[in-house]
Amino acid sequence: MSGAVALAPPALARLTRLMGGRENLAASFADTCRRLAARHGEAALEPWAGGALALVEVNAGAGALLAFWRASLELSGRLSPAALGETGHAAAALCREAGGRATLAALDAFVEIAPRLAGPAERTLFWRALLALAQAAPDGVALVAAQARRLVRPGHVAAFEGFVAAGLKAAGRDRARQRAFFALEDPLALGLLARIGAGPGFAELETDLCRVLAALWGTPPPLQPLPPGGEAPRRVNIAGPVVRLPEVFPGVAGEAARALYRAAALHAGAHLHFGNPRFPIGKFKPVQMALAGIVEDARVETLAMARYPGLRRLWAPYHVASSADGPTVASLLARLARGLFDPAYRDPDALVGKGQELFAAARGRIDDPALSLAIGTRLANDIGQRRLRFDARGHVVEPAYRDDGLGLWDFSDIAPEAADEVELMVEAARLERREGGDGPPDAAPSPEPAGRARPRPAGETGAVIATYPEWDAAAGIERPDWTSIRAVMPAAGDTGGLRHALERAGPVRARIARLVKAARVGRAARLKRQAEGHDLDLDAAIEAAIARRAGEVPDLRVFRSTALSQRDLAVLVLIDMSQSTRARLADGAGVLDVEKLAVAMLAEALAALGDAFALIAFASSGRGDVRVCEVKGFDAPYDTAAAACLAGLSSGLSTRLGAGLRHAGAQIARVRAFRKLILVLTDGEPSDIDASGEDLVQDARRVVLQLRSQGIDTFGVTLDPAGVGSGPAIFGKANSMPVRRVEELPARLSELYFRLARR
Amino acid sequence: MPTAFPAGSSPAGSSSAGALDLSAYRLAAEPYYRPVGDEIAVFEAAWRHRLPVMLKGPTGCGKTRFVEHMAWRLGRPLITVAAHEDMTAADLAGRFLLTPEGTVWHDGPLTQAVRHGAICYLDEIVEARQDTTVVIHPLTDARRMLPLEKRNELVAAHADFHLVISYNPGYQSAVKDLKESTKQRFIAIDFDYPAPALEAEIVMREAGADAALARTLVAIAACSRNLRGHGLDEGASTRMLIHAGRLAAGGVSLEAAVQAGIVLPITDDADMRRALSAAISACFA
Repeated sequence: MSGAVALAPPALARLTRLMGGRENLAASFADTCRRLAARHGEAALEPWAGGALALVEVNAGAGALLAFWRASLELSGRLSPAALGETGHAAAALCREAGGRATLAALDAFVEIAPRLAGPAERTLFWRALLALAQAAPDGVALVAAQARRLVRPGHVAAFEGFVAAGLKAAGRDRARQRAFFALEDPLALGLLARIGAGPGFAELETDLCRVLAALWGTPPPLQPLPPGGEAPRRVNIAGPVVRLPEVFPGVAGEAARALYRAAALHAGAHLHFGNPRFPIGKFKPVQMALAGIVEDARVETLAMARYPGLRRLWAPYHVASSADGPTVASLLARLARGLFDPAYRDPDALVGKGQELFAAARGRIDDPALSLAIGTRLANDIGQRRLRFDARGHVVEPAYRDDGLGLWDFSDIAPEAADEVELMVEAARLERREGGDGPPDAAPSPEPAGRARPRPAGETGAVIATYPEWDAAAGIERPDWTSIRAVMPAAGDTGGLRHALERAGPVRARIARLVKAARVGRAARLKRQAEGHDLDLDAAIEAAIARRAGEVPDLRVFRSTALSQRDLAVLVLIDMSQSTRARLADGAGVLDVEKLAVAMLAEALAALGDAFALIAFASSGRGDVRVCEVKGFDAPYDTAAAACLAGLSSGLSTRLGAGLRHAGAQIARVRAFRKLILVLTDGEPSDIDASGEDLVQDARRVVLQLRSQGIDTFGVTLDPAGVGSGPAIFGKANSMPVRRVEELPARLSELYFRLARR
Repeated sequence: MPTAFPAGSSPAGSSSAGALDLSAYRLAAEPYYRPVGDEIAVFEAAWRHRLPVMLKGPTGCGKTRFVEHMAWRLGRPLITVAAHEDMTAADLAGRFLLTPEGTVWHDGPLTQAVRHGAICYLDEIVEARQDTTVVIHPLTDARRMLPLEKRNELVAAHADFHLVISYNPGYQSAVKDLKESTKQRFIAIDFDYPAPALEAEIVMREAGADAALARTLVAIAACSRNLRGHGLDEGASTRMLIHAGRLAAGGVSLEAAVQAGIVLPITDDADMRRALSAAISACFA
C-alpha cells in the first residue's frame, strides 16, 4: 500500500493542505509534524503521512486523528515513520469496520502495549486480531482495547489473537454475551485471560501430578480443575476426597509452574494421607481457622517430610516471607508458616517464636490433628489480644502452594453468632463449589459448535436378529433363547469432535503408528527343514546323515531360514455404551467419548495393518431388548461412514454383557482366521433391569469360557478406577486389564492389542 | 502317601549312575537368600516328595536366587535352563550329534538332570513354545520318566531329580500363558517384593550399602511400584535396587545411580521419567 501512496502527489503535502482547513487539528498536526521531522527528517515522513491520510479518508474523526498524533509522538523513538504509517493504515482499516471511537481506543491501547510487541509481525498480529473482532463484533473493540494491558503479554501476542477468536466463537451472535466476554466479565474470558502468559496449566500437568501423587501416596485422589475467579489468587481446595487445583497459577510459567503444581498437589496429598480432619466449625472465628490451618499445614508437612525428606527441597523455595514484608497480619501469618516449616527461621515477632515453641513441644503427638486446633487457637488469642486486625474477606493462604484450608472444617454445625464472619471467609469457596458441582462449566471452549442437535440416540428398537441362551447361575440351568438381540441403525454423528480428539492425542498416535510399522513388517519366524537357508538345521542334518548311513534316502531339506510371519488375525471390539458411560471426567469429556477415541485409534491401527476387524456396540433394556449397533462389520472398510457411526454412539440403558458377548462370538466365529480375538471395552459391571448383577457376571463368565473352547480369546478392558470391578471374575485375571485412569484408555487399548497380536 | 524318596540321598548315588560329572553344577558357597515367609519349608516339603515346584512372581524379586539357595541347602547340583521362544524339545531333551565314529547321542540339560539327579530349573518357562513344555509332563506326575523317542529310550528319573520352573504372571502373559495341563502339575510358591525393612536388609547385604542408603532405595522402589497401572507395567525390582545401590556405594552420586539403575531402564516414556524422577527426588534429602 505504501507503493500506491508513493505514486500519489506527495502525501505529506496533501495532508498538510487538508489539516490546514481543520481548526481543531491544525495546531496539533503542525506540532506533530515538526517534532517528527526534527527526529527523522521531513523526507522520511512520507509513509507516515500516507497512514494518516488513510485515517482521514475513512473519516476517522478528530479524536482518532489526535490519538494518532499522540501515538506517533509517543512511539517515534521506537517506531520508524514507515512503521507508524503502517499503524495508520491498520487503524484506518479498523475504523472502516468499527468507527472512530473504537479506533481512538485502539490507538491509545497500542501506545500502551507497543513496547511489548516485538517486530512488525507482532504488531500486525495485534491489529489483525482487532480487525477480526471489529468485523464480527464492532462493540467489542473498545472493550478489548481498554483491557489491552492485561490481554497482551510480552511474547504471547498470539494468545491475544486466540483470546479474541475464542470469544467470538463462544459468544456467537449473542451481543450481551459478547460484551460480557470482552469486558472480561465472563468466566470463560477470565479463564482464558489467566492462561495468557502462564502455563503449563492443570490440563497439561494433570497426568504428571496424578503419577507423582500415586508414586508417593498410593492411589491418587481425584483431581479437578478450579476455574479462575476474580482478582484474588486461587489456592488449592480440598473437598472431601477430591483435590481441586487452579486451572493455572497466573503469571507462573514453564518449569516454575510445573514445580508449583507439584508442590501444591503433594501438599494436598499429604493432607489426605495424614488424616484430613474435619474440625466441627462450632464457634470458631476466621482468625482461628486461619491459624489452625497454618499449624495443620505444618503438621502434615512435617510428617510428610519425615517420610520423604526430599519434599523439603520442593516446598522450601516458596517460604520466603520475611519481616521486611511489612507489619501486616498477612505477612505475620506467612512468616509463621515459614517458622513452622523451617525451625531454624528466626523472626523478630514473638508470635512466630511462640508458634515454633508450641509446635516443637507438641512433636511427640504430631500424629494427632487436634494439636493443630489447640496451637492455632492459642496463637489466634495472641493476635486478638494485640488487637491486630485480621481481614477475613481478603485472606489468602500463603505460600501459594498451600490449600485454602477450608477442607479442614465441617460447616454443618456452625454457631449462629460466628456464621456471619465465617461466611465472609468461605464465601468465595462456596460460590465455586456451586458452579463446580457438575464438572467445570465453561472451563474450555466446547469443541462442538453450539446449537447442533444431539446425536440421535441409537435407541430405536430394531428388528430381532438373533436370540441367545443365558445361564441362570441361581437355578443352574441354561435358558434357551432367553435374550433377543435387536439391530439398531447407528446414528451418524459428527466426526469433527472425534477427529479433534485424535489430533490432540498426537504423541500416543505417533507411538501407535510406530507399532503398526513394526508389526506390519512382521517378526521373523524361524523355519526348519528348508531346502535352502542360511544355516544348518542341526536335527534335520543329523537325521539325513543317519538315513544315509542306514542306506535310506535322506531328506535333503536340512537348512534353517527365516521368513516374515503372516498375520492372520481377526478382532472384534465390543463397546459398552450403557448409561454408566455417560459419566464425566474431570476435563469434561464423557467416558464414552474416551472409549470412542480409544476405539478410533485402534481402528486406525487395525486398518493400517490390514487385520480383519469389526466394531460392535451394545446396550440392553431387559432380556427382550439387547440392542446391538454394528459400527463396522468384518467386510466393511473403516471409512468416514464407520467413523461417523462411531462418533454417533450415545450412552444409555444397561449392560447385558453375556448377550453382547454371545453375539460378538457368533459374528467372529464366521470369520476365517488363525486367531480370533474379542476385545471387550466396558466401564462397569454387567447389569440390567430384569436380572441381578451377580447372575450376569456368572453368565458372562460362562460365555467367555465357551468362546475360549471355540478358540476365540476374549479380553476385557475394564474402566475400573477403584480396581474392584468384576473384570477379573469374568475374563480371568490374565485376560482382563483394569484401566485405572480412563484418560489412559486410548494408549492402553492399542498397546494391549499389539501385545496380544504378537503371536 | 508313601515317601518314595529318601531325603538328601548321597551324592555318590548319582555319580555311580552315569559317566557325567555334575560337580560343575554344584554350588560351592552359600548363595545369600533372605527368607520372607515359609517358602523354604514349603520347598523342602515339596523336595521330600519330589513334587515339582513353580515359582511365581514379578521379575527381580529373588526367584532364581531362591532356587540356588535351595540347591545349596539340599546339596544338589542345579541345572538352569533359560527358556526362549526358539527353544525346541531337543534343546531340552538332547539330540544325536555326528562324530567321526558315527552318531553320538548327547543329553540335553533336562535329560542330564533326570539321569543324574540334579535340580532342573526352567527359568521363565512361558517364553518357550507350548509344544516344548509338554516334554516335562511325564516327569511331573507319578511316572517320573522322560521318554527319548529318538533314542527309543525311557529314562526313569533319578531319585534326586527335582523339577522347578519359574513363571512371571501378569496381563502381558495373556498370550504366553501356561497350559492348564502344565499349571496343574506344580506346587506353587508365590514371590513378591519383600517388606520394606526386609528389602532394605537385602539391599544392604547385596549392594554393600549403608542402612540409610538402603532405606532410601527401598522408599524409591515403593514409589515406582505405586505407579504400576499408572503408566508403568512393573515397579523397580529388588534386583534393580541392588544394582543402583552398588553404583551408589561405589561412589556414583545417589541421583545418578538411581537414574542409571532404575529410571532409565524402567521406562522410555519421557513424561513417565519426569514423574518418576520427581517422586524419587522426594525420597532423599
